[in-house]
Amino acid sequence: MSILLNRETKVLIQGITGRVGQSQTRWMLEYGTNIVAGVTPGKGGRMVEDIPVYNTIAEAVAEQGAEASVFFVPPQGVKEAAIQTIDAGIKLIVVITEHVPVHDVMEIREYATDSDVQIVGPTSPGIITVGEAKMGIMPGNMFNPGRIGLISRSGSLSYEVSVNLAIAGFGQSTVVGIGADPVVFTNIPDLLHLFEEDPDTDLVVLVGEVGGVQEEEAAEYIKKSITKPVVAYIAGLNAPQEKRMGHAGAIIQGDGRGTAQSKVSALQEAGVEVAQFPVEVVRLVQKRLTAS
Amino acid sequence: MRLYEFEASGLFTRKGIPVPRNAVVTSPQEAREKAEEIGLPVMLKAQVLTGGRGFAGAVQAAESLDQVERGTESLLGSSVRGLPVQQVMVAQKVDVTKELYLGITVDGYRGTPIAIVSFEGGVSVNQLVMEQPKSVATRPVSIRKGLHLTEAREMCLKVGMEGHEVTQVASMLTALYRVFESYDCLVAEINPLARTTQGKYLGLDAKVEIDDSSLYRHTDLNLDVEGRIDNPRERKGREIGVAYVELDGDIGLIASGAGLGMASVDIIKQKMQPANFLETGGGITAELLYNAMDLVMQKEGLRAVFINIYGGINPIHEGAKGVGEYIKEHNVSIPVVAKALGNRQEETWEIFREHGVQVVTDISTEKAVEYLAGLLEGAA
Repeated sequence: MSILLNRETKVLIQGITGRVGQSQTRWMLEYGTNIVAGVTPGKGGRMVEDIPVYNTIAEAVAEQGAEASVFFVPPQGVKEAAIQTIDAGIKLIVVITEHVPVHDVMEIREYATDSDVQIVGPTSPGIITVGEAKMGIMPGNMFNPGRIGLISRSGSLSYEVSVNLAIAGFGQSTVVGIGADPVVFTNIPDLLHLFEEDPDTDLVVLVGEVGGVQEEEAAEYIKKSITKPVVAYIAGLNAPQEKRMGHAGAIIQGDGRGTAQSKVSALQEAGVEVAQFPVEVVRLVQKRLTAS
Repeated sequence: MRLYEFEASGLFTRKGIPVPRNAVVTSPQEAREKAEEIGLPVMLKAQVLTGGRGFAGAVQAAESLDQVERGTESLLGSSVRGLPVQQVMVAQKVDVTKELYLGITVDGYRGTPIAIVSFEGGVSVNQLVMEQPKSVATRPVSIRKGLHLTEAREMCLKVGMEGHEVTQVASMLTALYRVFESYDCLVAEINPLARTTQGKYLGLDAKVEIDDSSLYRHTDLNLDVEGRIDNPRERKGREIGVAYVELDGDIGLIASGAGLGMASVDIIKQKMQPANFLETGGGITAELLYNAMDLVMQKEGLRAVFINIYGGINPIHEGAKGVGEYIKEHNVSIPVVAKALGNRQEETWEIFREHGVQVVTDISTEKAVEYLAGLLEGAA
């Protein structure tokens, strides 16, 4: 049944009356997402795409039984909204918002440790359980249903890899964009664990990039706890030091931490086959799936 | 955003961390005046946004006012690791008996601030952790509770400090945490923290990086964000709303995502040399891609431009119009190759083709770059 999200999940959209919130709500509905409510403070009582809008999250939960939420909330409002959403008992939050202050992210993450909520993002393209539902902005037609789990730090590269997999006849169970900020709510190993447990996933593709230690930690975790095959691609082999490569978290430090080479060798050491280029992922997936 | 030493030092003072008396100057004459006020001897420190200035000759001692003038003059004309020196800090020179290190940074993976104390200062703390792990204490900090004095004291004791030193350094560490917390820092570092011959503690160098996403709540600091970007094209990128990083080659690049942009650089690098990394993010309009073309084309000696965009959240047909308009207005004669997929891709291709852009309809970036390489080989 894939991970995190399925066609039954009752989804709430925060920031549904905004320009992006509204148009993305339409795409998500078209894809089959079970959207039950929207929230924009001060705009309760309206309808957007035939979805009832509430002033507070608590109301949306009480009236419509919302259990997951997508954020199209401005960055300054994310901390407050996240705390209210956690308090309302929502179990899955996807933060699409970019430029959320890092200190706010750390504060929300610490607040969330006391509850069993899963938060994805910020700067996430979203989650899509292919053929069932999506919470996010990824174009639905880039993905085929199938048995590959995909974890990506980059939205655009998750599309590039998925389209190439689709052409070769492969598809995905669930695709998760974890976001590309210096601190994210869900780390790669959290998702590896979910895919490992998921009977509908046979193999995991991991798309990483320069900056931070997500991929190195993932390599350690794979060594210890993952039995399913993992194939990876890391972007940024030629990224210069001390330059942010578009994403806030995609930076090689002046002392050389966070290089693509470091990630590639950590993963290879953990038995992960690493593609040199996105399209090579397809060949490695083919190889691993026929071998096992 | 990295702060200049004098800016960071100012934040230290606000939160109660003592630093040597100092002033920032832009001319030798001004340096002389300030040195006279501060009192000789002084240190002259080039204000550039890079580490390791000591090794790069960007920090000098001056014993006389003539030395101050001459030293400032030579620093102001120079560049440090490729960065031009436009400002010099004149700071009181102190006699140091011991150097330590204090830092607060973000543990990106665990998502908490992390406090670091080292009994050895002046060098890279990562190097210290490797070479002398016992002289370094690290501790994750609860961002909701902050760093308490007792916790800071424990860290100081752990690295072998004793008596009065523990109290003084620990209170300095909590003050540094207040800097980190108050100004949304990603990094706040005192390196070195000096113990003077009089037994006082002073922050001799200040390193602060503020989270760009939080700058809206620190407008009172009046930081000139664009002004500190030295490369004019990188500065322009920030102004028009794209991420631009200059590289050494001659193949221009426009991509609609950071990951896709980095992958494109890696793929181009196989057979050619990328001139830049450019990432538009999700806000493509005709105007944005017109400006992006204008920016990429400013680099001299360009042989071709490669455009790699996805139409998910982005209206790529609008983007194509901007590129087309630029090509028409500026009579662009080098090849422009585009791979554009997603919503309204056929319409996008048509607009591109009308303006002489060569469209690659294959779905992989590798194939598109191969096509571009073939085109250039054929032309050579």
